[in-house]
Amino acid sequence: MKWLMSVITSIFLPMMVYAANVSEAPEEARVRDVAAMLRCPVCQSENILDSQASTAKEMVVILRERVAEGMTDEQIFTYFKSRYGDYVLLSPPTNGVGRVIWLIPFWLIAIGLMVFGWTMRRTGEQESKTRSRAATPLTESSLKELDL
Amino acid sequence: MSDMSSVRKSGLKWKVPILVALVALPVLLGIGLTRDPSHVPSALVGQKVPEFNLNLLEQSGALTNSEFGDTPLIINFWASWCATCRQEHPKLVELGIRSELQDEFEIVGVNYRDSRDRAQRFLDREGHFGYRSGFDERGRLGIDFGVYGMPETFFVDRDGVIQARHAGPVTDAVLAKYLPLIGVTP
Repeated sequence: MKWLMSVITSIFLPMMVYAANVSEAPEEARVRDVAAMLRCPVCQSENILDSQASTAKEMVVILRERVAEGMTDEQIFTYFKSRYGDYVLLSPPTNGVGRVIWLIPFWLIAIGLMVFGWTMRRTGEQESKTRSRAATPLTESSLKELDL
Repeated sequence: MSDMSSVRKSGLKWKVPILVALVALPVLLGIGLTRDPSHVPSALVGQKVPEFNLNLLEQSGALTNSEFGDTPLIINFWASWCATCRQEHPKLVELGIRSELQDEFEIVGVNYRDSRDRAQRFLDREGHFGYRSGFDERGRLGIDFGVYGMPETFFVDRDGVIQARHAGPVTDAVLAKYLPLIGVTP
């Protein structure tokens, strides 16, 4: 029994270390949220939080300072945008030219629906044409021709 | 007959936007392919030069934006760890001599994310500039200028407005393109 207890303890004790409460400054969550939306100008496909580039790290430091100063998200974005332009935002802006980019998926869905509707209508028309022909009753003369 | 033509017309109405979209999309994507994906547009062109106050790299004292009154100004960001900076170095030394001999423009350097030691050794090896460099150890001023790579050069006119930003080495062609924008004959 003793050995079983020691096995269980040795397995679960390290887990408790990970489960220990980690306290962080309350504004750190906001720093992470905002940083995730800012693009690292050096590595370009990463946000400044994930990026290992020194410029990105310094940008996070600046971001942390701005948050501590009590700036709103919008003010922080404006600050970085005035340096790097809309480019610094990982998602394109929803106004101006940026709106076009956001509309493309809807535009593509609309085209898909149009093509779908158009093909359906064509097949429908052809089907109804063949059906209406089949439904025409035979005339006297044609019956005679058929010699029925 | 009239039935058929109305069917044909409504069919065309559907087709026009589809065709426009089918043509427009590859054209837009094609234009996208011709652009340099590593190019970061500068938000500062047309804006006032950001304020700065840096310690000097080699001497004691500070480098501030206010000392350049109404003279056109060239600001060059450089670092000892940047290979391209070595390439543009002779051109910058030449520009420094020119600005000293004639009073057409001022030029300053900003040593970016470097150590004083390494920067000093770089200058000892490549040759010292005839002008001062500020020391931007943590790259704060670089971020203020929207710098993303080394070297970068900013051309500021006599009103303190940034007229151009060049990422890459300074060459005769670059000077011929940007110096006229700040009222200096290349």
